[in-house]
Amino acid sequence: MNNLKNHIRTKRASLLGIVIILVATMYFIDGYVSGFWKTLLMLFGINVIFAVSLNITNSWINFFSIGHGGIILAGIYFAAFFTLPPGFKNGIVHLHLPEYVLNTQWTLLPALLVGSLFGALVAVLLAFPALRLKSFYFCAGSLGFAIIVTNIAENIRSITNGPAGLWQFPAYTSIWWVWGIAAAIVYLILMLKKSAFGRALIAIGRDQDLAEHMGINLLKYKIIAFALSGFIATCGGILWVHLIRTVSPSTFGLTFMFDIVAMMVIGGMGSISGAVIGAGVITFFLEVLAPIEEGFTLFGLQIPPFLGFTTILLGILFIIVLIRKPEGIMGEKELSITAISRFLKKLIEDFGRSQ
Amino acid sequence: MEYILQQSINALGWGSVMALLGAGYTMTFGIIGLVNFAHGEVLMAGAIAAYIAMSVLGLPFWVGVIASVAGSVAIGLIIERVCFKPVRNVGMITLFIVSLGASIILRNLSILTLGDQLKPFLVPDFFAGVFTFGNLYIFKKNIIIFSLTVIIGVTLATFVRKTKFGVAMRSVSYDSSLSQAMGINTEKIIVFTFILSSILCGIAAVFWGLLYGYVSSSIGVEVVVAAFIASVVGGIGNINGAIASGYILGIGGALFVAFLPPDLVGLRPLFLWLVFFLILFLKPSGLFRANIK
Repeated sequence: MNNLKNHIRTKRASLLGIVIILVATMYFIDGYVSGFWKTLLMLFGINVIFAVSLNITNSWINFFSIGHGGIILAGIYFAAFFTLPPGFKNGIVHLHLPEYVLNTQWTLLPALLVGSLFGALVAVLLAFPALRLKSFYFCAGSLGFAIIVTNIAENIRSITNGPAGLWQFPAYTSIWWVWGIAAAIVYLILMLKKSAFGRALIAIGRDQDLAEHMGINLLKYKIIAFALSGFIATCGGILWVHLIRTVSPSTFGLTFMFDIVAMMVIGGMGSISGAVIGAGVITFFLEVLAPIEEGFTLFGLQIPPFLGFTTILLGILFIIVLIRKPEGIMGEKELSITAISRFLKKLIEDFGRSQ
Repeated sequence: MEYILQQSINALGWGSVMALLGAGYTMTFGIIGLVNFAHGEVLMAGAIAAYIAMSVLGLPFWVGVIASVAGSVAIGLIIERVCFKPVRNVGMITLFIVSLGASIILRNLSILTLGDQLKPFLVPDFFAGVFTFGNLYIFKKNIIIFSLTVIIGVTLATFVRKTKFGVAMRSVSYDSSLSQAMGINTEKIIVFTFILSSILCGIAAVFWGLLYGYVSSSIGVEVVVAAFIASVVGGIGNINGAIASGYILGIGGALFVAFLPPDLVGLRPLFLWLVFFLILFLKPSGLFRANIK
């Protein structure tokens, strides 16, 4: 009993410690980091959100979706109707929306909630193929879903402004929003993974028929899993669009999904800490190599632009990981305070023994 | 009625490209369970090789055809050896995402080296010309491409059904380990299947160039989805089914666009996915019985 109390106390203390460190880091970044590196860190947070959301469907319930781009796109457009400045909606592009929507401009939080709820609704649409289709048929179906959404967004010009997309988004996103939401999501999903609900989802992923025989309601759990995943992904998308401040239907195409899938696979499918690590590695990789793509001068030598160069490198890295180490960096394990302290203790003991 | 007929005839060429791609797709799909997203890039490689041979080096048309087939086979084999062989037994999803990665690498490499602009494809005079048949206009190239595709399809079907190699292919796709135990060199059969499907890609690339008069680095994406859906609709592993459904999709797509209101013509890709979801929900084994598996 005492032991348990102790355990809980250490857990609470370490959680508090993490929160304090996180807030201090955010404060530091907000005050002292700027420009490229600040954007990079924000993109990292957003990619964490994307990778975590993809983990729920692609790894937990094992329906490999490459159609989350469609969900995110739908959610972003829905939120955009509320956060775009009225001057843009009325004057520059003339969207055919209800009077109230045209003349309003919301702040980030309500737009985030409304947009993400809409994203969750769209994700439920994607869940319906998952009730019927198996393994890679669903994979292809989700691709079709994304293509259909993109296609619709490109063609109903009166509402979405067609292939040109939308711009003039207000710059709402700050490091506090991104990292705060990302940290909250990571914590909640980690807790969810240990709960009965999360275990039910993972059981579906391991063996769908067996899970059904154990009394797990497949219909309910799949729909909730997709809605949750869609909600989180759209959250990330809305933060993204208020950072980059422009969006077009082709933004969230296959290349985007490939980046996110690479984060998940390289970090380790099924592991939330893996998703965080993967997001960190890939974001850093993509953004640091981006200048090469645009061409630069090195010692007076003009290096021509290499369009698509980072994507090629990422693809090669991705294939090497899949061939050599298919379980990724973390496998299905999670980083935890106890595991780290145990590891450190063992390291110190080993060190002491060798002395 | 005439309008429908005219649209259908116009779609024969595009249907042929899809039929050939679908046939190649369904073979590799059947034999190692590979949903090959890089199949479109194999076609692109062929088209680019033909463009280089004909437009850049100024060689005659038949050299272009050979270059196209050779380019396709080379790229197809490289992808198979480097990417698919190591992960062949890991699972369909892994194979699929590896092929996705391969496709993205190849497409970007091509854009990197040759640019993304449309490249002219020289169409020989032999293929130009229009027949009039009552009120119908029939392009000569459509008819030639259609008849060549039918010939190729019949040859392929006979080959798979009658020859020893074809029987071996079918047996590997039915059960790879069992056929290995029976003394079939499965490795050889798999490589051979890839070569065959790449050859079809090369021919389809030439047809594409003849039809549209241009090739580009991103034609792969446009066709790979169509080829995949053709192979699903036709029944996995069924070559005749894939060819037939290639035409069904081609003609159906043309009619779908023909009856859309003019401001919604951009919705063209929806048709393919509509058919895909309908088939998978209503008749998952495909329209035609899968005769291999």
